[in-house]
Amino acid sequence: MVRPALLPALTAFLCASVQAEISFNREIRPILSEQCFSCHGFDAKHRKADLRLDTREGALAENEGVRAIVPGDLGKSELWKRLHSKDADEVMPPPEAHKPKLTTKQLATLRRWIEEGARYEPHWAFTAPVRPSVTEKGPAAVDALIDRGLREAGLTASPEVAPEKLLRRLSLDLTGLPPSPAELDAYLQARTKNPEAAYAAEVERLLAAPAYGERWGRWWLDQARYADSNGYSVDAPRSIWKFRDWVVNALNADLPFDRFTVEQLAGDLLPDAGESQRIATGFHRNTPLNQEGGIDVEQFRIDSVFDRVGTTGTVWLGLTVGCAQCHDHKFDPITQKEFYRMFAFFNNQDEPTVKVSDAARDEAGLAAAARDAEKALGAWLDQKAAALKQWETGPAKAASAKLSGSVKAALRKPAAKRSVTDRATLYAAGPGATDKEFKTLQKKAKDAADLRDGAPTTLVLKERDQTRKTHLLTAGDFTRPAEEVTPGALSVLHAFRPDQGPVNRLDLARWIVAKDNPLTARVIANRVWQAYFGRGIVETDNDFGSQGTPPSHPELLDWLAVELVERGWSLKSLHRTIVLTRAYRRDSAERADLTEKDPDNRLLARQTRIRLDAELVRDSALAASGLLTRKVGGPPVYPPIPEGVMSLGQVKRAWNTSKGEDRTRRGLYTFTYRVTPPPALAVFDAPDGLASCTRRNRSNTPLQALTLLNDPAFFEAAQAMAKVIEKEGLAAAFRRCTSRPPETSELRILSGLDPLSAARALLNLDETITRD
Amino acid sequence: MTDPLRLLGRTRRHFFRDCGVGVGSLALTSLLAQDKPASAADPLAPKQPHHRPKAKSIIYLFMAGGPSQLEFFDHKPKLNELNGQPIPASFIEGKRFAFMGSSHRVNLLGHDKKFKRHGRSGAWVSDMLPHTASVADELCFVKTCKTDLFNHAPAKLFMNTGSGLFGRPSMGAWMTYGLGSECADLPGFVVLQSGPRGPRGGASLWSSGMLPSTYQGVPLRAQGEPILNLTNPAGVAATDQRKVIDAVRELNAGRLAKTGDDEIAARLNAYEMAYRMQTSAPAVMDLKGESKATLDLYGIKDPGESSFARNCLLARRLVERGVRFIQLYDTNWDHHGGVTENLQKHLPMKAKDIDQACAGLVRDLKSRGLLDDTIVVWGGEFGRTPMGEVREFTGRNHHIDAFTMWFAGGGFRPGMTWGETDEFGFGAAKDPVHVRDVHATLLHQMGLNHERLSVKSQGLDVRLTGVNPAKVLKPLLA
Repeated sequence: MVRPALLPALTAFLCASVQAEISFNREIRPILSEQCFSCHGFDAKHRKADLRLDTREGALAENEGVRAIVPGDLGKSELWKRLHSKDADEVMPPPEAHKPKLTTKQLATLRRWIEEGARYEPHWAFTAPVRPSVTEKGPAAVDALIDRGLREAGLTASPEVAPEKLLRRLSLDLTGLPPSPAELDAYLQARTKNPEAAYAAEVERLLAAPAYGERWGRWWLDQARYADSNGYSVDAPRSIWKFRDWVVNALNADLPFDRFTVEQLAGDLLPDAGESQRIATGFHRNTPLNQEGGIDVEQFRIDSVFDRVGTTGTVWLGLTVGCAQCHDHKFDPITQKEFYRMFAFFNNQDEPTVKVSDAARDEAGLAAAARDAEKALGAWLDQKAAALKQWETGPAKAASAKLSGSVKAALRKPAAKRSVTDRATLYAAGPGATDKEFKTLQKKAKDAADLRDGAPTTLVLKERDQTRKTHLLTAGDFTRPAEEVTPGALSVLHAFRPDQGPVNRLDLARWIVAKDNPLTARVIANRVWQAYFGRGIVETDNDFGSQGTPPSHPELLDWLAVELVERGWSLKSLHRTIVLTRAYRRDSAERADLTEKDPDNRLLARQTRIRLDAELVRDSALAASGLLTRKVGGPPVYPPIPEGVMSLGQVKRAWNTSKGEDRTRRGLYTFTYRVTPPPALAVFDAPDGLASCTRRNRSNTPLQALTLLNDPAFFEAAQAMAKVIEKEGLAAAFRRCTSRPPETSELRILSGLDPLSAARALLNLDETITRD
Repeated sequence: MTDPLRLLGRTRRHFFRDCGVGVGSLALTSLLAQDKPASAADPLAPKQPHHRPKAKSIIYLFMAGGPSQLEFFDHKPKLNELNGQPIPASFIEGKRFAFMGSSHRVNLLGHDKKFKRHGRSGAWVSDMLPHTASVADELCFVKTCKTDLFNHAPAKLFMNTGSGLFGRPSMGAWMTYGLGSECADLPGFVVLQSGPRGPRGGASLWSSGMLPSTYQGVPLRAQGEPILNLTNPAGVAATDQRKVIDAVRELNAGRLAKTGDDEIAARLNAYEMAYRMQTSAPAVMDLKGESKATLDLYGIKDPGESSFARNCLLARRLVERGVRFIQLYDTNWDHHGGVTENLQKHLPMKAKDIDQACAGLVRDLKSRGLLDDTIVVWGGEFGRTPMGEVREFTGRNHHIDAFTMWFAGGGFRPGMTWGETDEFGFGAAKDPVHVRDVHATLLHQMGLNHERLSVKSQGLDVRLTGVNPAKVLKPLLA
């Protein structure tokens, strides 16, 4: 694949400070990692020619009379010679590796590095973040670090975006919903007194809105691979929405991220574990479950443990730990054994389904109702005792072979020991078979009992008392266990320090959020940043290892990470800091000078336009047209979907379209079958929950156009919007969709259409589904 | 105001290709374009292949469930001779099978199917597939296909994506990602279904994995509108629809001029294609223009009724329109011996469902000059065991060590049989062919090098053939 090159101006910027001294991490490691490490890296077993280039020691070692690198001596450096060899057997990398050719610039960089002494540095991500020296505080510090880069590149920042668009951006980013006309008016009004204070007040209002938890809950649920069914062939529905609600509530309450982490990874092991902490462990129950006939259950249990290890590495550490499942990691210092030591933490759980309480349920009332209904039935049966006895000694005996199992079981019990249910079963089989009054009472009792017992369930992790042994699995094959391993963490990171004795998941969770962990805070800060600017400071948000991209603003990343921890891991505080920066508030329009000098906007001279996430495309249409139901939490819902969608999988699952307010809930609440995902969400790149997704694709396809034009749910919104047009006029409708008034030329185009067509056009605008 | 149409041309590709900006500098640039294809305005625009392709399109006939090679193609008289006797222990020692704890058995199972050599090539085909046998000289049989996984959903994923785990792009997605589409008014990757249910694994089988959803398979549906949301909402006239689309185009173009964001250019294109699709997709599904002779060739009795045969004819029509990858799933090939899927009653029914249509497709493509650059693939996610399985009736278990697939057209050698299995048809005696080799070969014929077609994800160059060795099956290629 041809990859676009970094543009000269930016290169100049990145190299400006470097001309004096080559940075191994920024300039050399990416080249060596891409070109060399897969054969000459950390993985000892697959290492070629016994040469490793990922350590200086290895690169300088003598090997069959030559040394790959002789510091300061290009001529004696075998590596240099091999890079230029014309001999197909000698040249490196070998042609069959299909590596992109080293550019002249890369060669020159390598040359200078060797000549300057071939200094190595530890990988940046494995050293603790340090707060960079910057005099400003809070958002101003972020701006100072960004502006430094702009100044060096000779670029000026774009001005602040127009106020209405700013509020739209803020509202969509913090809550996933566009501002209402009233909210826009209020903000514009407040700005006339004090623009800065008005903006800050909006930030606080939106951070406090329940919709904040819904919007950022989805961000986390992507990573948690949340969905409402089991996946694979059978794809049976599952009930784990309590975990979804837990995430939304935790974010709304600004549960510190370290605590948020510990509860999800090991809430069941906390000394003060309550129901909430157990629900949180649903994080790792979001793995697919194979219920196909003829499977080896253990094989798929192991697969889900693999998933849990890999997902933990990706989500919190930004490391591709999963790569070490079959062999030592090729690029990062993670051994296969270490993978299985991580595996051991996740190999010791039962996976139960548990009943949980529900605030929407009146448990005492339900219990009382069930008791009353049973009492009424019992009293009624008391009056029929004689008839029952007569049946029991007569007809029942004669027809005993034909009686059902439950009837026989009830008959076996002595009359005095029979429950009301037993007696009702008998009476129904005998004298009461056609008694309507009895049937009504029996049904009432049963319904009341079902309601009492119908508390929602959820999936949780539960540590086993008996420890399951963990073995390294040769080539990741569960039928080939090798040496036994004990739980332990990655040695490349900070030391694992449980006080004493055996360690468990809780220790792992605490290790992940420990102060000395160089990764977690950076990874999370980066992933939040990514949502605001369309790209992370580290672009490979899920790979901070050697193959990842180095940070575009290393100091900024460190500043954010340190700040996150020092502010008690408050995510809301991180969000606040970011949205209060000047950089966040800039206009997103492209500029000719930037297009030339920094076309990918890595230096953040402007903001970026971002197409809304799938759920928000839906939510915006519903909100703008006034249809959106603002109800937080509860079981997933079934909005209208096109006929035939559910027959795409092996088992045709029922889709009983919700009625009333549940038809128009936020996309977050739509029931998601992994195998037959809701089409209007899938088409806009909503993840299917089969694997952790830390960054969504943003495709742009004709099927999206067909969805916005013709999908029944969007048409329903258009019909509602047509009424808005009739009542409030075109300009008002336009503003509900784009948060700005239309220009005359735009109004002219729309006024040529009937209200319904104009409404449909509005909901199809690129601007309507985009955060400018 | 800047002329929006001029801006349409100012795509990202323009900057990289035409502005003469330096090639290569720091490795950190490598991911800049990860989710931006070369032309942001049209990610499905035809792309340069790695080498001269032999084929332009693939029609993949997927027999979902795992058809029995032993009743169809792999002639093993020993099975009848030793019917009911256990297979020698050396074959199965240490091996794992599906249903090991229940209905799996080790006794060999014979059958009453008659095998004959057919055509000049002398390929073995049983009397269950007389039509397929009649085109044997066009087909390239591989008797020794081998896969890694023996449960349906994982094995189907493996056959389609090269991995039993979720999240990888499927073959059709790779093809359209690597080559783009030659068709401006239909999706580049289309999925058709027949049989009583959808395939196990559903949408994950035609997923675009870590590639943008632009490349995922689009199911063309047998009933109702062929593509979801293809038809205008009730009460919306065609002229109104066009007016809406025109207004959207004008307003979007204005916004493009203001923002300079080439995503808007892509959206302008997407709306035009969507509009064209609204006409072209129903047109492709409408078989009125097909002659009686053509319908008969495929064995289509009622052109309005959904069937595998109808899907085969649709596949040809899609190829004619330049669609890159067409996958037909036919379900219920899982003949364990249960009440609804056994060898006595149901395998013959399934054979009848597909036989004439497969042969008809090959003949039809050939007579229209399309077979030269269209590959037809036939196969399931695995085969069936030489040992019988005992449920209510007789059946065979899932088998991964050797099963038959056939290929036709697109540069595959016609009238060829490759690979030999042992006396029981259990494993390869000669020339084993792994699923990865099949993938490498199909990509190769389409002009793509399986080692070069990759996408960066989590530090790895992800490929259809993965990291294990895979080879292009040169002897199979003309």
